[in-house]
Amino acid sequence: MHNLVRSTQRGRLALGVLTALLLAVLTACGGDDGGSGDADGTTTVTVATFNEFGYEELISEWNAEHDDIKIEQVKVGTWDDAKANLYTKLAAGSGLSDIEAIEGDAMPAILAEADAFVDLTDAELDGRWLDWVAEKATNSEGQMIGYATDIGPEGICYRADLFKKAGLPTDRAEVAGLMGTWDEYFALGEDFVKKVPDTAWYDSSVGLSQAMLNQVENPFETDDNTVAVDNPELKAVFDTVTGNIAKGLSTRLPQWSDDWTSSFQNDGFATMACPGWMLGVVEGNADGVKGWDFADVFPGGGGNWGGSFLTVPAQGDNIEEAKQVAAWLTAPEQQAKAFAAKGTFPSQVEALDSPEITGASNAFFNDAPIGEILANRAEAVTVQPYKGPKYSDILQAFQASILRVDDGSQEPEESWNQFLADVEALG
Amino acid sequence: MKVDGGDTDTPRMSPPSIPSTPAPSAVPVRPGLRQRLAAWDVRFSPYLYISPFFVLFAVVGLFPLAYTAYVSVHDWSLLGGQGEFVGLENYREVVDNPYFVKQLVNTVSIFLLSSVPQVVIAVTLAALLDNQLRGRTWWRMSILLPFVVSPVAVAIIFGNLFGDRYGLFNEMLGVIGIDAIPWHTDRLASHVAIATMVNWRWTGYNALIFLAAMQAVPRDLYESAELDGAGRVRQFLSVTLPMIRPTMVFVIITSTIGGLQIFAEPRLFDETTARNGGSDRQFGTITMLVYDFGWQLRDLGRASATAWMLFVLICLFAALNYVAIRRLGRLGGVDR
Amino acid sequence: MSRRPGFLVYGLLLAFVLGSAAPLYWSFLLGSHTAQVAAQGVPPLLPGGHFLDNAQRVLDTVPFWKALGNSILVSSVTAASVVFFCTLAGYAFAKLRFRGSVPLMVFVIATMAVPTQLGVVPLFILMSEFGWTGSIWAVVIPWLVTAFGVFFMRQYLVDAVPDELLEAARMDGCSQIRVFWHVAAPAARPAAAILWLFTFMQVWTDFFWPLIALPHENPTIQVALNQLQSGFFKDYSLVLAGTTLATIPLLVLFIVAGRQLVSGIMQGAVKG
Repeated sequence: MHNLVRSTQRGRLALGVLTALLLAVLTACGGDDGGSGDADGTTTVTVATFNEFGYEELISEWNAEHDDIKIEQVKVGTWDDAKANLYTKLAAGSGLSDIEAIEGDAMPAILAEADAFVDLTDAELDGRWLDWVAEKATNSEGQMIGYATDIGPEGICYRADLFKKAGLPTDRAEVAGLMGTWDEYFALGEDFVKKVPDTAWYDSSVGLSQAMLNQVENPFETDDNTVAVDNPELKAVFDTVTGNIAKGLSTRLPQWSDDWTSSFQNDGFATMACPGWMLGVVEGNADGVKGWDFADVFPGGGGNWGGSFLTVPAQGDNIEEAKQVAAWLTAPEQQAKAFAAKGTFPSQVEALDSPEITGASNAFFNDAPIGEILANRAEAVTVQPYKGPKYSDILQAFQASILRVDDGSQEPEESWNQFLADVEALG
Repeated sequence: MKVDGGDTDTPRMSPPSIPSTPAPSAVPVRPGLRQRLAAWDVRFSPYLYISPFFVLFAVVGLFPLAYTAYVSVHDWSLLGGQGEFVGLENYREVVDNPYFVKQLVNTVSIFLLSSVPQVVIAVTLAALLDNQLRGRTWWRMSILLPFVVSPVAVAIIFGNLFGDRYGLFNEMLGVIGIDAIPWHTDRLASHVAIATMVNWRWTGYNALIFLAAMQAVPRDLYESAELDGAGRVRQFLSVTLPMIRPTMVFVIITSTIGGLQIFAEPRLFDETTARNGGSDRQFGTITMLVYDFGWQLRDLGRASATAWMLFVLICLFAALNYVAIRRLGRLGGVDR
Repeated sequence: MSRRPGFLVYGLLLAFVLGSAAPLYWSFLLGSHTAQVAAQGVPPLLPGGHFLDNAQRVLDTVPFWKALGNSILVSSVTAASVVFFCTLAGYAFAKLRFRGSVPLMVFVIATMAVPTQLGVVPLFILMSEFGWTGSIWAVVIPWLVTAFGVFFMRQYLVDAVPDELLEAARMDGCSQIRVFWHVAAPAARPAAAILWLFTFMQVWTDFFWPLIALPHENPTIQVALNQLQSGFFKDYSLVLAGTTLATIPLLVLFIVAGRQLVSGIMQGAVKG
């Protein structure tokens, strides 16, 4: 017991230190308790985003100009994490940010829960967005639940230096001419990996499969929301992507994983499907790597990948302020700036014509005229895949099925059957 | 009380003795008002003292468990709330789900990989510490260092070390000419990686427990062994090990309870966006399945059914625990 | 076996201690380099000069101070609550005679093994009902008492307080509560400190329930770390700088009270 008693004095010391620390932290943080009106009448509006929205400077700009409403950004990693959090807190009835960003693919599911969100319909904002984008955020009763931020027209990002190593053309116009169809793109890849065996052709099978899915009319569900995953188009995507694995075209890494991130620094792959918002990701992950370029082409025609919306959950305390902030953030001028910051291509009609977009180029991508390219890519989009309320959940299962083949844990057929079973289990 | 990994960690105690009857207190002979009050005081105070605990424990500990059973026999969606009574339908769906058995096996496998080597190393370590070391306290503190690192932090650090392609461990294997091990995709390899995290965090802690048990071994046993001509190793095998065996059994059984709930380590080790424990749930555990059903597939009914089955499983182990304790109590001696 | 140990013993122990410390050093090492360096498999073995930059980025990415404050608050409050309620109950079980004490104590011991964290579904429904999800009280409440605490305090108090002393106090006309307060509570202090320490660490490292209950803008340290790790750019210099930062508070606690933690674990093992 002697030992114990002696050590109690240390314990008391520890207690004292901790109490002091506690008080220090509590007083330091007393101010930013978040939520509604602080003592001085300022309202803090929290904006939860995932990935990169390019809002950092916009928020500083707003906060510098406004004393009554301050914006605070809450950043989460991937959409999957944001989604789990979103549903949990929707169910709990509290805990969401004043503004929640939603991935475009999940909008049909969100529309099904429209009651939990504020109707953002505003006559003044009619015509702000491209029609097909606005439609995605509007429910059958004509209520607009979300303000669109960006769209994701896809081009091809590529490593000109690695192309050179493989004896392929490096000029972006020439490169664009070589990959008009998927077959051409894959054939070029096989050629490439023969010459540069340590480098894969594209970043991940999952990313590629999603790019291909974006050209399928009804990937998972029919127009009346019946789940129909056992369809030939989907199977074709699955077979093509899994078939490429043995040819060495894929890095065989899960997209967004550590190794995937590291592969940007280690010459892991030469090309990837790049929606506008991906440009910021590439630039961030490949920081310091030279040789990236962006080609005005997408195999198999155009494709749109992602694009997000800002919603205002009805459970929030600052609904009016949040609405105001959401409208401001998604205004053409702001989205043009977000584009400059992270490459998120605006979904606002007016922004598309603004010189900030059309004249934009990106030094990291060898001064590629990314504004012009993405505008061309947006025009090339002919198919808007039908996405029902279960799209987002099924997509997650589909990606896991690709990954199982990719990482070698299953044969394609086994994995496909498991995917069908997984979808069944979604209930 | 759990010991191995996961999210809760209470210190491990060795076999508790079953309460003996407390000393008798004074019973007043003549019932005056004052004495009556005092008698009531003596009689009811104990209940007053234990009731806050039992009330709170009932509300935050027992009620949720009972209510889990209630939820598990209903359709109960995360957003929609309570639905119809469906009997054992949720249980059937969970058991029929191939991931259930797979994740159950994973859970047990990770547990075995994390407890067996851990006990061996911890006992060895304790034997090393059970010497007249210089800087005894310093050594004891040093081996406990990993214990202050949270499982989440442990998972992040080791997740990096176990990177499939560019992680330190695989780079080192490459240097000595061994092929990279797919830590995140091979089922067994991923279990080893996760067990390593658990072992790293808990081995020192367990070593201290074994050390305490070793120090309680009567020294004269060693002396007589020495007289019989037994060397150090022999003494360790024939005196120390048998004497600390009860502690060992207890450590293993209680660590089961913790190990079966492991969540933080495998979840943070997972790099697929779904975070269900690998593309094919190579290292998904039962607690992760509870999370998946409840908060990713948004079905609280199936989540509750899964939780309840895990609960029953753990109760079986707990019963085992209790029986072992009773038995050890009768063996007596060593740990008292 | 009390013998003067040789080189081998020290060598093996040192190897183990180095193994224990190495991952922490690794965390700091990568946290002190730039993202590019951290993305290589094997970085330089000496720390780089970017730890503060990375730490600053951590603060920009997740609400670190808030998470730290929450973790300290939640852990301290629950630890205090556990110590108070469990000392009270533990004292009753150790020193007072009352009908049902034995079965109730057996019940406490049996429930020590009950995985209360599996009650997450009802906890979640309850907290939602009360509108507490999102507030840190949702994390405090499930931890207010632990069966382990009662058991631990009982085991300690059985021996620590002589029955004669209690008897004497009662003879002097002390009421039960005064006996508890003036005799038992002071005697319970060493064990209470250990229980406090253990509970604090336990709650500090908890992850499953806070992950469900807390929002991204009001996390505990563990939830914030999870947020950092699931980042869009898996930038390990950032993530490991955050991990290092998040470990510092408990390291401080360990340095101050590590000796006590050691004796607590060993006391817990021997008593019983």
